[in-house]
Amino acid sequence: MDKNEYLQLVLSGQSLGEDSAELKELQTQRANVEKLIRERFGSVPIIRYGGSRAKGTLVKEYYDLDIVCYLPCDSDTAGENLQEIYGNVRDCFKKGYIVEEKTSALRLKGNAADNYMRDFHIDVVPGRFSDENNSDCFIYQKAAEKCRLKTNLDVHIQYIKDSGVVDAIRLLKVWKARKGLRIKQFAFELLIIELLDGLKTKSLSDQLMHIWEEVSGSVDPIHVEDPANPSGNDLAEIMKAAWPLLRAEATNTLNTIKWSGWEVVFGAMPAAKSASIADRAQRASASVSTPNKPWCPKS
Amino acid sequence: MVPKKLRVAWHERNAPLLEAAKADVAAYYPDLHIVIECRVVCVRGSFPVMDEAGVLDRFLIEITLPFDYPESIPILREVGGRIPWHADRHVNRANGEACPIVPEEWLLRSDHGSFLAFLNGPVRNFFLGQILVESGQPWPFGEREHGIPGLIEAYGEVLGTSDEPTVLRYLECLSRETVKGHWECPCGSAKHLRNCHLEEVKSLRKKISPRVAQQALLRIRELSAQELRNAVRR
Repeated sequence: MDKNEYLQLVLSGQSLGEDSAELKELQTQRANVEKLIRERFGSVPIIRYGGSRAKGTLVKEYYDLDIVCYLPCDSDTAGENLQEIYGNVRDCFKKGYIVEEKTSALRLKGNAADNYMRDFHIDVVPGRFSDENNSDCFIYQKAAEKCRLKTNLDVHIQYIKDSGVVDAIRLLKVWKARKGLRIKQFAFELLIIELLDGLKTKSLSDQLMHIWEEVSGSVDPIHVEDPANPSGNDLAEIMKAAWPLLRAEATNTLNTIKWSGWEVVFGAMPAAKSASIADRAQRASASVSTPNKPWCPKS
Repeated sequence: MVPKKLRVAWHERNAPLLEAAKADVAAYYPDLHIVIECRVVCVRGSFPVMDEAGVLDRFLIEITLPFDYPESIPILREVGGRIPWHADRHVNRANGEACPIVPEEWLLRSDHGSFLAFLNGPVRNFFLGQILVESGQPWPFGEREHGIPGLIEAYGEVLGTSDEPTVLRYLECLSRETVKGHWECPCGSAKHLRNCHLEEVKSLRKKISPRVAQQALLRIRELSAQELRNAVRR
């Protein structure tokens, strides 16, 4: 098996089938989110879906669903301004979820005893369309320099889908997740597309090597532009904050591939799975030489 | 108490220990990386739970190595949002900290200064347990009771008793820098130590340092105070 066949196998191992538990739960939560929005604001908000599934970049190890909840430009159903809309949409989830307030999105987590703080991988993004075309939209930016940001979900989705480098994006998402790199996913995807401009026909391994070489070799952050708002959404700060670690890990990865090969980066391909994960965990537990019991300070 | 900003962090006074941790992480867990933020050492990334066939599962984690590491246990968190914050999953509901082991149990181990030993031991065991619990099975090595009873159980196993007052007396005795024969024996006999369990106490002191005994007592006192506050609130 050559390195590109190997990378394709890694990718297929990262797919989530339609009947997978993860996607089923995502669908259940999606229905619940929509129900809560409709209960509170009726049929006025326009609900659309984005995130990795819509963009075709979903990987098992790092997936999410973006649910945008946009109000028509002339509606004050959810509030008169963006901050009010953000706050009121947040409040409508409070009885069903723990809501983590991100810059523009609301991250939903479990609030029941048995799923407290479990992440449902759902971001709800409240906003208001900028005109009657229901295309461009303004979203609130909490604790940011500019309190509103113009964006366009359809442009974002299409830009990624049409990039021709979705496989490279998916593999680099796995890499980013495993390294615990804290860079906004959208900015990271734009960086990949920018660096692979003109290299769509290259093999997957060549594309990845090119990305890591470019990042590793660039002392300063590489400039990327938001296709939905090239002049108004400055991603420079995001790139600047993430760059040192991104660069260091790109350099490490190049060294790893040079000295140890691709399998150290993305893992060995498992032999045909004859045993379930639980059975394997049971067997692994039996061979632990120094077991210990977990504890918890509170009941 | 010296303010944190004036205290010397462990990695500032013991650079070789940090280098050893970095080298181990790079060699054995290449998907984890060590960063220093505000003078605190954090380890982040994807933790692979391995078996003989390869990677069994992965968990996104963050481990903070406290200011006085390795004299305090590293603080583990699962940050992928996969494990609910629930006592039965051994995650503190108040702050999301995982509790893979009673801290003093770890500090008594001879390899507690090795970060790799922490990853290969309590961290791996904890996530093996989580995989099994997710599939409806019990914790593979059993589990401690929550709160103070779990601490008493753990300390009692080391001290050779399960009686709470006796455990507390032994910890009190071991927490002092010296041992005097005229002290009352912690076993509860009311005899002088020299006429009772002096040799046993001396032997325990070789295993349990005054610092660890002090930490154990402090942990029990803090939990007691917290439980009292909660009871008053209720």
